[in-house]
Amino acid sequence: MNIVDFISLSDPNVRFVVIGSMLLAASSAIVGCFTLLKKKALVGDAVAHSVLPGVCLAFLLSGVKNPVFLIIGAFITGWLSLVLIDFITARSKIKEDTAIGLILSVFFGIGILMLTVIQKSGNAAQSGLDHFLFGQAASLVGMDLIVFSAISLILIIAVVICYKELAIIAFDEGFAQSIGFPVRALELLLTTLTVLAVVTGIQAIGVVLMAAMLITPAAAARFWTSNLKVMILLAAALGALSGLIGAYISYLAPAMPTGPWIVMVISLIAILSFFLAPQKGILVRWFKQKNFQTQMLEENILKLFYQLGEINGNFYTPRTVEQIMERRPFQDFRLRKGLIKLKRQGYLESTSQGWAYTQAGKTKGQRITKLHRLWELYLTEYLRIAPDHVHEDAETIEHIITPELEKRLEEKLEYPRLDPHQSEIPYHK
Amino acid sequence: MIHQVQNPIVELHDLTVSYLQKPVLWGIDLTLPAASIIGIIGPNGAGKSTLLKAMMGLIELSSGYVKIFDQDLDKVRSRVSYVPQKESVDWDFPASALDVVLMGRYGKLGLFNRPRKADKEVAMECLRQVDMVDFAKRQISQLSGGQQQRVFLARALAQEADLYFMDEPFAGVDAATEKAIINLMKTMSNQGKTVVVVHHDLQSAQEYFDWAVLLNLRLIASGPVDQVMTTKLLQETYGGKLTLLAEVGELLTKKEFPSREKQWE
Ligand SMILES: Nc1ncnc2c1ncn2[C@@H]1O[C@H](COP(=O)(O)OP(=O)(O)OP(=O)(O)O)[C@@H](O)[C@H]1O
Ligand SMILES: [Mg+2]
Repeated sequence: MNIVDFISLSDPNVRFVVIGSMLLAASSAIVGCFTLLKKKALVGDAVAHSVLPGVCLAFLLSGVKNPVFLIIGAFITGWLSLVLIDFITARSKIKEDTAIGLILSVFFGIGILMLTVIQKSGNAAQSGLDHFLFGQAASLVGMDLIVFSAISLILIIAVVICYKELAIIAFDEGFAQSIGFPVRALELLLTTLTVLAVVTGIQAIGVVLMAAMLITPAAAARFWTSNLKVMILLAAALGALSGLIGAYISYLAPAMPTGPWIVMVISLIAILSFFLAPQKGILVRWFKQKNFQTQMLEENILKLFYQLGEINGNFYTPRTVEQIMERRPFQDFRLRKGLIKLKRQGYLESTSQGWAYTQAGKTKGQRITKLHRLWELYLTEYLRIAPDHVHEDAETIEHIITPELEKRLEEKLEYPRLDPHQSEIPYHK
Repeated sequence: MIHQVQNPIVELHDLTVSYLQKPVLWGIDLTLPAASIIGIIGPNGAGKSTLLKAMMGLIELSSGYVKIFDQDLDKVRSRVSYVPQKESVDWDFPASALDVVLMGRYGKLGLFNRPRKADKEVAMECLRQVDMVDFAKRQISQLSGGQQQRVFLARALAQEADLYFMDEPFAGVDAATEKAIINLMKTMSNQGKTVVVVHHDLQSAQEYFDWAVLLNLRLIASGPVDQVMTTKLLQETYGGKLTLLAEVGELLTKKEFPSREKQWE
């Protein structure tokens, strides 16, 4: 199979597998948003591992690999694990995270043991069963596909109907209870949805990594938005995308399990979100900071030209780099970079005797100087800060004051003539 | 000094509440008057939050009963509003201020119904009352503590209830906000609503409340504020702590000990 065949989805078989994988990845991502917000991510992990003995037991008892039986088995042990975790936490001194770890390993251990027994017994039908560990999307055909897709659809519909209720118990349970919402029942519903979301993925993704499919898309989506609805849609889209890629890889390399691939894709998306997302992403924050630093440097250079102009009474005298550095020690290469950039922006021009203001450059330099001095005056007059302490603060504030604030500042101070250091405040004439 | 009132809006009878067998509220008989601002006052761990939760049916009672408007809470829930302590929720939740205030409408909407346009308008109006309209679309984690408190208040207003239980609405708000909130409460009580407030500042209690309840695991006093806020009753409420504090203070003055380490330098 090549990529064209795959993308065109000409083979109906492929089409169904792809749609199925996307659907179940999306539905578990949607439920996972609430699991994450309710701070139950670890619980999802426990459930995912605990469904394995249920699957094996169902197979041992029925002797066939029927998805309905397997799901019922998975559902029962998944639920049982949660009940036990709650019981242990409530009735003993053991903390919840310890209880989760305990139950997870015991259930998973039993599951592996049963799986080994099944494999040893050489039952022909078991051939598909070991896919439940790490998943195999391509095996999602026929009855399996129908059943898992149906559950996915049910999950999505349930979340749509109960959106408001799930959101409020995730945000403020006490309040939800105070307005008479059936908090216990809603919590039970969320738990059931979580277990079902895990169950949908056991064949395509596998129990070992299913918890990641539940939580990672939600965590990635959270980086991009602070709106719950958008977060859910985005998580669904990211989940579906990783499902699609996983299905493709599953066809490309049938011997390879799908789960790790899907999880790798979604993890990659999460890592990229961590770096790139607006506001929360660290790369964006870094760029913003960098931009601000550049802006400060450039404005400081323009301000310096103004101060030099004040000294000799001519603002348009060309200045050499050395003269500038003498007045204020910039980093040499940053200064040169700044000068060149200011020239490109039309604030400075370079002459044979050095750098000089353009008209626009002088206007801007004058404004920064004015803001610096106004702010110093504001600090000393209104906040009663000593005049020798205000310079540092003004050095930053002068760069962020907007024209509106500038106007208010001027009016509040009634267009003063001198700053606290007796320098003239230059207004634009 | 426990005043009982005729036709109370809230009535507690022999109320006992325990956490893991340890009782934190002991046999409380309390009645509260309608159309008033009521302060619940007591030291940390006195059981103030527990008392509110018990009245809201949020925790199991070991004994006794609660009657609100002379009925079981379940029958009158839509007329009662509860504002939890601000710290009880995760403010990093993906929601805007308006989203949170809209939750105040959920009780009236009932299960599975979506908020309608009218609900959004009510929510905006409530945000206006707490002077937070400009922050309606702001993500709640980007609000200051005082602004978050206002959002909680707006959510309570959106419930359009007759009785409000508020757990420390003044915690972490500045003087101006505190004034604004108390004025809002006074307007509400003038409209015949009752506001029950957990409060920590003894100084302002006199001025803010019509009625005060002193609590420290047991009910110490309940009555008109000027009769309750007496040194004797307060000392009883704050127990050894208040006298100990007074002694330490005296020691500091007597020995001319600096109250801050910094002063040595
Ligand atoms: N969930 C709980 N489980 C066990 N004990 C609790 C629980 N909640 C509160 N307590 C205990 O009950 C007592 C009363 O607590 P409560 O929160 O009602 O006090 P409070 O008066 O509201 O204090 P604060 O002024 O600090 O808010 C405290 O001793 C506290 O340790
Ligand atoms: Mg409290």
